[in-house]
Amino acid sequence: MNVLAPDAAIEGRRSGAPHEDWAKTFRNAVIVAVLYYVGAEIAFLIGTLSDKIFAPFWPPNVVLFCALLLTPPRQWWLYILAAFPAHVAAELQIGMPATQLLVAFATNCSVAVVNAFLLQRLQFDPPWFGSIRKATAYVFVAAFVSPALCAFGGAFVQILGGGSIENYGVYWARWYASNALGSLTLSPIALICIERMGSFSFTPTLRRVEAILVAAVLAITCFFAFKEDTSIASGYVPALLYLPLPIIVWAAVRFGAAGASGVIAVISFVLIWRTLNGHNLFDVGNAEANVFAMQLFLIGLSCPVLLLGAAIEETRHAETVTREREERISFAAASSSVGLWQYDLAGEGFWATDYCRTLFGLPSGVPLDLDRLLNRIHPNDFPTAHAAFQSAITRAAPLEIEFRVQGRDRGYHWVSARAQPVFGDDGNATAMTGAFADATSRKMAEAEADMQRHEIAHLMRVSMLGELSGGLAHELTQPLTAILSNAQAGKILLAGGKKNLAEIDNIFDDIITEDNRAGEVIHRLRGLMKKGEIKYEAVDMNELIASTLRLLHSELIGRRITIKDEKAVDLPPANGDPIQLQQVLLNLFVNAMDAMAGVAPSRRTITVSTAVTDEGGIDVRISDCGMGLPRSQEHSVFQPFFTTKKRGLGLGLPICASIMKLHGGTLSLQNNVSEGATAIFRLPPPDA
Amino acid sequence: MREAGFTTFLVDDDPAVLRSITRLLNAAGFKTKSFSSPQEFLSSHDPAVPGCAIIDLVMSELDGLHLQQALIDTGSDRPIIFLTGKGDISASVKAMKAGAVDFLTKPVQREALFSAVKRAANVDAVSRQRRNESKSIGERISTLTHREREVLEYVIAGRLNKQIAASLGTVEKTVKVHRGRMMAKLGVRTVADLVRLADKAGIAPAHSMVG
Repeated sequence: MNVLAPDAAIEGRRSGAPHEDWAKTFRNAVIVAVLYYVGAEIAFLIGTLSDKIFAPFWPPNVVLFCALLLTPPRQWWLYILAAFPAHVAAELQIGMPATQLLVAFATNCSVAVVNAFLLQRLQFDPPWFGSIRKATAYVFVAAFVSPALCAFGGAFVQILGGGSIENYGVYWARWYASNALGSLTLSPIALICIERMGSFSFTPTLRRVEAILVAAVLAITCFFAFKEDTSIASGYVPALLYLPLPIIVWAAVRFGAAGASGVIAVISFVLIWRTLNGHNLFDVGNAEANVFAMQLFLIGLSCPVLLLGAAIEETRHAETVTREREERISFAAASSSVGLWQYDLAGEGFWATDYCRTLFGLPSGVPLDLDRLLNRIHPNDFPTAHAAFQSAITRAAPLEIEFRVQGRDRGYHWVSARAQPVFGDDGNATAMTGAFADATSRKMAEAEADMQRHEIAHLMRVSMLGELSGGLAHELTQPLTAILSNAQAGKILLAGGKKNLAEIDNIFDDIITEDNRAGEVIHRLRGLMKKGEIKYEAVDMNELIASTLRLLHSELIGRRITIKDEKAVDLPPANGDPIQLQQVLLNLFVNAMDAMAGVAPSRRTITVSTAVTDEGGIDVRISDCGMGLPRSQEHSVFQPFFTTKKRGLGLGLPICASIMKLHGGTLSLQNNVSEGATAIFRLPPPDA
Repeated sequence: MREAGFTTFLVDDDPAVLRSITRLLNAAGFKTKSFSSPQEFLSSHDPAVPGCAIIDLVMSELDGLHLQQALIDTGSDRPIIFLTGKGDISASVKAMKAGAVDFLTKPVQREALFSAVKRAANVDAVSRQRRNESKSIGERISTLTHREREVLEYVIAGRLNKQIAASLGTVEKTVKVHRGRMMAKLGVRTVADLVRLADKAGIAPAHSMVG
């Protein structure tokens, strides 16, 4: 009986030999037969010890019921078959006639089968009495429905033994009470013992001592409480009957279902034992009546105690599950460098997983509260972070912020915090729950990516200038030519004497002007060439466009492209890095120029316009009349390495888009209705 | 060697460059006339004025090569010097094929500029002289009668008067008269001069009928 069917099935499957399964079943059947016989013997023994009572329950039925409950229905016939010889052997001792013996066996089997069948259908399975549902199902079936039904047959055993048919109701009641009591007192403790046999050795010693102590105290209490001679005479019976109650509750609270079923067994045992020793608590008159009273008392006691035990077991299990889940989540969170926390809005309590200590560089053992964590934030980030937390908690609003935190070593690392309000049943926020995550590696990767983007932007700028070198060189050649020719003219005039002084003065003026002109070109080029930090400043977009077009002047002439200027007057300044914005402009202009390579020179026109957006930002449009964007690929142009040019890298527009994103702006390209394409880029207002 | 009135026409849409080169040429004693727009230059162009043109290759309105072509289309063979900011081989080949005198890269050294202008002046003078000469020869030839013209073609073919007379179906004396008048009208004394003049005027000798 100690081998549960599923285990046996698993073992059978593992060994690959089904007959071994049957060998174990057979062994269990023999054990059931022996226990069945022993149970009957004990019941008979109780009956012989006193003339006032007999056994208040029939142990063989309990044995058979437990055996059937623990095994699959297809094996039941074997256990019933095994129990039959034991039944015959036991009943023949008291000289039971054959018919009565057979009817008794049939009804005994029927109650066990109905019990086991219904309970298995109601999914009454281990852990036994682990929930109120299970305990209720058990009490309902094993203590009421099943014995009440089978008692209709069981009553005939007495009649066949010579009882009058007029007493059928009495016999029914007795048979019912006996079987219900057996299911309530012996079966639960037996089932729990079988279930926990394997794990008993894992129980801590202290707990084992406590269990034994509870049992002993209960036994002693019951011993004094359950005696008829003093109590009835003194009228203390009801009061004394409640004496074991605190101990029952203690056992149920501390040991759950096992404690509850244990105390039921102990009380039953003490009550029977005391009665056998002549202290008959329920002395109604004849033995049958005494036992019936005792049965009713024990049934009434057992039902609520069993349910109490189950209720406590369920709560404790739920607690364990919650605690384990919390531990699992904390572990998982810590493994992925995340610390969890919750801030109770009403009680202002703070709970956080242990990993938060690690994240915020606090030694273990330090009690955690929100202020202590926030105080570890880098002084520069603290005001913002503190205000964000305060505002989120006050308004019960979602929070998302990143800040640096003083680590346990001297360095700072990045932590990202997210939180959201938890709402109670009434719809009001009850708590803020959130997570702290180590964002250092992400921040470093972002910085790295920023640096690479910066690097690529610079390379693109330089390579674009390389492509434009012819036109740019011309921009320098012009002033240099003017300077050289002026200087040479000056030399000739000087050789001619003083009469040319006025013209020489003009020559110097021109040389100065042209030198400045060359200097400006170089200055603009150097700005584009160098790899400086991004510097945001007020930028006059119209002036930036004009300066870019000056740089492209020769290139535009060389490509026979006309610029149509539709710049808005009184354009407000934009906030941005002039070099990076000029790179975007240059790139867009070069794209527009390239797009018109196949267009007749007379029609090569680029229209550039500026405008103020509704939000107060700046909108720049550069429109060509070239071939336009390839159909259905208007979005692909922003993908890296996408290019329509023969020698293009496909990085220009992605870089421009990333520059615009950095400025909080947007860049888009669209085909014009008639011909060509328009690049639109927008910058937000400076204060946005 | 410079002709009086030889003018250097400067065309560049960059005012600073235009002014400086004008100034340099003026300082060296060249007569100049500058234009900041190719259209302006074209519309006021007078081929009769001796001179050369210095043209910027890259201009926004009309680039140098197109301006050169436009000049040729008007029948002008004014020598052209191109100025360019960058060494553009294909443009320079095109320019030289179309008769450009030189192709100078900016910033231009004065010696190179001056020598180019001088060469252009020579080219201009020679072509102008040749044009004048062929113009006067043409005028003189046009005064010849049909018969005199026939006699001319036979004479430069090396025929004797007798042979000419036979070919024309006339007598030797008549041929002598025609020949004398023809030589007088053309202003030549010797057959050698006549042959040179006929060659300049592009007149082919008569086909020999006699072996």
